[in-house]
Amino acid sequence: MSWAEIWPLLWQATLETFQMVLPAALMAEVLGLALGVLLTLTRPGGLLANRPVNRVLDAIVNIGRSLPFIILLVLLIPFTRLITGTSIGSTAATVPLTIAAIPFVARLVDGALYSVPGGVIEAARAMGASTGQIVSKVLLPEARPALIQSFTVMLVNLIGYSAMAGAIGGGGLGDLAIRYGHQRFETDVMIATVLVLLLLVQGVQWLGDWAASRADHR
Amino acid sequence: MSDIALSPSTLPPSALPTSAVPALQFIDVRKTYPGQAQPALRDLTLIVPRGSRTGIIGRSGAGKSTLVRLISGLETPDAGQLLIAGQDAGQLSSKARRERQSHTGLVFQHFNLLAQRTALGNVTLPLELLGVPRERREARARELLAQVGLGDFAGRYPAQLSGGQKQRVGIARALATDPDLLLADEATSALDPETSAGILELLTQLQRERDLTLVIVTHQMEVVRAATTHVAVLDAGQLVESGETRALLGHPGHEVTRALLDAHRPEVQLAPGEVLRHVNLKDLSSQTLAALAGLGARIVLAEAHPQGVDTWLALPEAQAGLLAALNLQAVGA
Repeated sequence: MSWAEIWPLLWQATLETFQMVLPAALMAEVLGLALGVLLTLTRPGGLLANRPVNRVLDAIVNIGRSLPFIILLVLLIPFTRLITGTSIGSTAATVPLTIAAIPFVARLVDGALYSVPGGVIEAARAMGASTGQIVSKVLLPEARPALIQSFTVMLVNLIGYSAMAGAIGGGGLGDLAIRYGHQRFETDVMIATVLVLLLLVQGVQWLGDWAASRADHR
Repeated sequence: MSDIALSPSTLPPSALPTSAVPALQFIDVRKTYPGQAQPALRDLTLIVPRGSRTGIIGRSGAGKSTLVRLISGLETPDAGQLLIAGQDAGQLSSKARRERQSHTGLVFQHFNLLAQRTALGNVTLPLELLGVPRERREARARELLAQVGLGDFAGRYPAQLSGGQKQRVGIARALATDPDLLLADEATSALDPETSAGILELLTQLQRERDLTLVIVTHQMEVVRAATTHVAVLDAGQLVESGETRALLGHPGHEVTRALLDAHRPEVQLAPGEVLRHVNLKDLSSQTLAALAGLGARIVLAEAHPQGVDTWLALPEAQAGLLAALNLQAVGA
């Protein structure tokens, strides 16, 4: 294939990847953040310590993280259809991507918040801060660099996962590589796709590292 | 002219001197943490006079941290009463407790500053929690930072400050809500001696200017000596003795107090028959020095404090008994 033929394909596939990954990333960040905050607060010794709730949340996160994405993709087909009205295409792919990323984000957020020194939280409590104030004014802002890092890791993961979304007609770069590069032996398409993926992941990681270090005043 | 003696009971309550209501009153306070066999505080009774600078000293495990957690509202007593400015801290609604907490300033050993906020942002935090508008809280914070000598450091992050500067930010933060009680929990333990002295001086000065009650919790007798008017010695969750600092350090009645006084015993080579004695001298005048020379005593270490000169003497054992007779303030054997 000539470059003139490859370019539009690549461009289209990159757009599709973004269409799948970005909405999924944003939704997963919001829901994963909430789940992660709850995990931290309900830990033994936490501000809302509650062992049963913590155990259940922990189990949900572990199960969610241990399911291979390709299995999740198939398992979620009925749910996806319920939400988007279809089980095929890049909009449909957003649903399993979001679901897969939520527990992932939750675990990273939990870790990030756990790293906020206990003394700082005690200080806020002794000032009379409510739990909501501690979360919004102390925990989240103090963990901001680690939260940015975790968002970056999630984004990179989702770009990887999105390649599998081709399996349900989601399109995107991974799909392009499989259909042209693998099934039609178009090696140059394969190489071009891999290069774009590589640049994309590098770019996201670089941007994330930059933003995290800018946000970190420690 | 006749002297009119009014007993407190004949005065209407509003006319009572404010010092009549202690800043803090522990009455038979007991606290045991879940899963612990030994109570952290066992029937502790202790009064902190309003407007005093009170040192609370004890070895580790004496119950100091628990006392701090009770005063700062992070724990409540299992039994007994803790009255803060006459209010029973164990009976407060959560709203009243927060109100109380905003009137108690806390200074911590490890500063506990928010790393992602500037000095200014740290000092405004308590006001932010109370919903004070941004302009007012920033103006107040700038004023306080200037008072602790950090007027030019408002925009710095804690990582860009020295230990002493961080603690000054911590003190400014503790004062943000204009508290009546300032609680310094081992506030100088993480600092070098020179920086510690500066912080204690600042605390003392602020206490005087603002008519605060300052409670200094520490394991170091030097801190008590340098900065307090009153002292309470805790051991194993109980009060072992208390009183005015000068009097108590001059005549320690309990072995724990003596042990704490001896904690910074200097290392020195003693001649045969010589012993080391710790005394608090009024001064190092020629008269005092002559008296010491008469005993064959040599000064090993002398440190001046507002309360006198903290001195370690090496002298012949036979003469040691005569120290007290010299009207020196012997601090302990």
